[in-house]
Amino acid sequence: MQEGRVLPPEQINKDLLNSIMGTPKWYWPAVGICSFIVLIAAIVVGYMINKGLGITGLNRPVMWGFFITNFVFWIGISHAGVMLSAILRLAKAEWRRPASRAAEVLTIFSLMTAMTMPIIHTGRPWRSLYWFFPYDFARGIFPNVRSPLVWDPSAILTYLTSSILFVFIALIPDFAILRDNTTGLKKRIYTALAMGWQGNARQWKLQIVAGILLSALILPVFVSVHSIVSWDFGMAVSVKAWHSTVFAPYFVVGAVHSGVSAVIFALILLRQAYGWQDYIRREHVEALCRLLIVVSTGWFYYFCMEIIFGIYGREADEVAIRTLQFLIYPWNWIMVFFIITTYFLPIFLWSRKVWRRNLVIVSIACISVNIGMWLERYILFVPGQINKQLFTFTWANYTPSIFEGIIVLGTFALVTLLLLLFSKVMPLVPLYDIKEGDILKTEVQIGRRTVPATFRED
Amino acid sequence: MAELKTLNHHYKDMWVFPNADDLADLPRKSTSLGKTKLLLWVTLILTVLGVIGFTMRLLSDGLSNYEPWGYYMAAFSFVFMVTAPAPLVAVAFRLIRSHWRRPLTRIAELFALVGIVNFILYIPLMLMIPEIANPNEIGHHSLDIRRTLWIQVPLGAPHFWEAAAMFALPVMSCLILLLSSTPDMSASISCVSGFKKRMYVFLAGYWKGTKRQWIVMQAAIGALGGLYFLTLPFVQFLISTDFGMSLIAGWKDSIFPAIYTLMGFQTSLAIILIILYLFRKKAGFENYIGASQFWSASKILLGLSLLWIYHMFAFFITFWYGRMEVEQNILNYLYVESWFWIFILNALGSWLIPFAILVWNPVRRADWGAPLAGVFVLFGALMFNIRIFVGAFNAGREQIYDISIVVVPPAVGPDLWDVCMLVGIIGLAGLVYLIGLKLFPVMNIWEIKEGAMYQKMGRLFRGNYLVLAKPE
Repeated sequence: MQEGRVLPPEQINKDLLNSIMGTPKWYWPAVGICSFIVLIAAIVVGYMINKGLGITGLNRPVMWGFFITNFVFWIGISHAGVMLSAILRLAKAEWRRPASRAAEVLTIFSLMTAMTMPIIHTGRPWRSLYWFFPYDFARGIFPNVRSPLVWDPSAILTYLTSSILFVFIALIPDFAILRDNTTGLKKRIYTALAMGWQGNARQWKLQIVAGILLSALILPVFVSVHSIVSWDFGMAVSVKAWHSTVFAPYFVVGAVHSGVSAVIFALILLRQAYGWQDYIRREHVEALCRLLIVVSTGWFYYFCMEIIFGIYGREADEVAIRTLQFLIYPWNWIMVFFIITTYFLPIFLWSRKVWRRNLVIVSIACISVNIGMWLERYILFVPGQINKQLFTFTWANYTPSIFEGIIVLGTFALVTLLLLLFSKVMPLVPLYDIKEGDILKTEVQIGRRTVPATFRED
Repeated sequence: MAELKTLNHHYKDMWVFPNADDLADLPRKSTSLGKTKLLLWVTLILTVLGVIGFTMRLLSDGLSNYEPWGYYMAAFSFVFMVTAPAPLVAVAFRLIRSHWRRPLTRIAELFALVGIVNFILYIPLMLMIPEIANPNEIGHHSLDIRRTLWIQVPLGAPHFWEAAAMFALPVMSCLILLLSSTPDMSASISCVSGFKKRMYVFLAGYWKGTKRQWIVMQAAIGALGGLYFLTLPFVQFLISTDFGMSLIAGWKDSIFPAIYTLMGFQTSLAIILIILYLFRKKAGFENYIGASQFWSASKILLGLSLLWIYHMFAFFITFWYGRMEVEQNILNYLYVESWFWIFILNALGSWLIPFAILVWNPVRRADWGAPLAGVFVLFGALMFNIRIFVGAFNAGREQIYDISIVVVPPAVGPDLWDVCMLVGIIGLAGLVYLIGLKLFPVMNIWEIKEGAMYQKMGRLFRGNYLVLAKPE
């Protein structure tokens, strides 16, 4: 471990603020392409609202399709932030440092994107307000506070609020550096955001305490968000494949799996795009991959539990769904593809140290995980609805329409666009965290070898 | 002992750094553990009580009916739950290169010997497990095959497969113990005499400490640890389903094996910390065991306690919310009616009290905090095993092939022979562990020596801090 050079603070400022102070050639074309896709998706959403949900592949009984799959996927991605920032900060893992900001920001943007999906899915977005506000006092119709559909927005909004706070607290010292390195309107904005930061001992102490406290406080929110999302499905006793007690931890671990994979891929892209080889190093990528080996194996355990107990009861309607998932085309192929891409291929690619340090191989593994995790949600939600009843005349297939595909693609473009825009105004690698890591680096002489070491303030 | 007297904000004894004299004395200290005679006698007497209880139960009820054996199962499961994951705790911390693990790895690995006890205790249970296929006429409320993991009833199921898995665990864990203690036995040959000397020469006489031997030894421990890691959750899954869930009609709960596995790690860590504390305070190992071991492990114990309530809530809310009669009956039986008070004790021990103890920083930093929480964790786990397995064994033999339990049975208290078996099984496990402590070096000498090279105090600005070397 610890392969990087210790760089002077001025050099760190210059390197890590190059995304803000300068504009690489690829930047505006990338923003343009993403904006175009988002615009097309927005037009499709407008068209769908105008024409109704009939233009999608949703039908009776399959009422939750691509949109809800995509919603759960983006909620999952949002779990990387807390995993990398809060948990690894509390665990004092040194290799978290370059990844924490990108993970936190990805959390915010993926949460915001996720929240759009159920609203789009309603077909008439204004009716989402009925989840919160009573709409017919005369007939005593009120939002059902016992419904997971009410818990969902509450949990997600709490998570979003605390994540924004978390990022903002961590950004304050970096805002101060930006304040000191800019002029004009930018300087005035960064001055306001830096909130009078001077970097004195008291401010640092408060900043660190706030970071640790928020890390600890955000943990229950982090766990609750995806647990509650899982209970949207788990509480539904009428859909056999959904009513499973293991859903909550299964979803949370799966979310961490996909979220951390997405962050690794984003880090590799940032490293290449901005030339941050001294900051996002192969040792960091390798450590994150080792973490993912553990996480993915935990996920695979819960997946096995979910499948085994699906057939454990040998109930006809549940067995029918499992038969559909495992034996009937195209679901069987999706199932095989999802298992391979989510677990076996990445585990194989992460199995050797030399591969874990190869950025191309790691990128393939991370993309593979996220393709698999998207399909996991799809294959978990849709087949259950297809065979919801034992009566075959109530069965129906689901084929997503092109409009759903465009909207889903638009969400990927939206998150990318938001990340690109963020990188233009705020640093995606935390400057003060990198500097702190450099200060804590040292060496120990063992026999004839000089071994890298770190100071620990336990 | 090179103890740091002034460590600024650090607690005294947080880290201890054995000096050259301490390290030279370690082989002698590790192989001459005193003050165990009384404990040996106590555990021996408990074991005898257990044998009496087992014999009387066997004579009065036989093995054909499993119902009277609920407390035997609970005691077996408790010992298995606590001891089986312990070797894995050592392997896991070694794999993630936690420096603080070093003094506790041998304490954990020695539980491999209790694995042999687990296998022997498992044999009667294998004989009493009821048939999978329904021997009675199949009615509209019953099933042809009772709900088990063995859906297609493969050849030898469940007896052969479960016995094979149960046998594999002690074999692997004993090999891990043997491999890990070989360098220490080799280093301690000159400190022992008689049978122990012959044993050390036989087991470790070949050890020369060449580079090749070290590489092979560590690779073998890693490989065996990996295999053990794959096998243990499977065995825990078998025990929790075949002897718990499948004996209560209608109980289909995909999170239960995960809770069982989680509690395994929680209780293993708890017992390891209790023993570590005793070693530090009573056996004169305070120069080798600092408070940092407890400080680091207590955070994991706290996390496991929170994970316990999280998993339990995930189960509860899913069953409760649906209002299905079958699920309501399970809840009524195991949680809110028949076994209510045992569940409360279980929740207090496994979650609430450890959480209330370990949530405080100063308590986590103290060497007594985590072991104290550990005592409650063990108590909670015992209550859990009684609630689940006595509950499962007494849920109505005539109902096990039914779709669900219709009548919620009452809780069943222990009789004299149950109590004898309960204490006897725990006593037997303790006896075997104590014999292990007598036979093997109780501290992992080579790891502690390695740790002494990798850790030191260093000065940064105006303070002294721990410096951790990361050679890889």
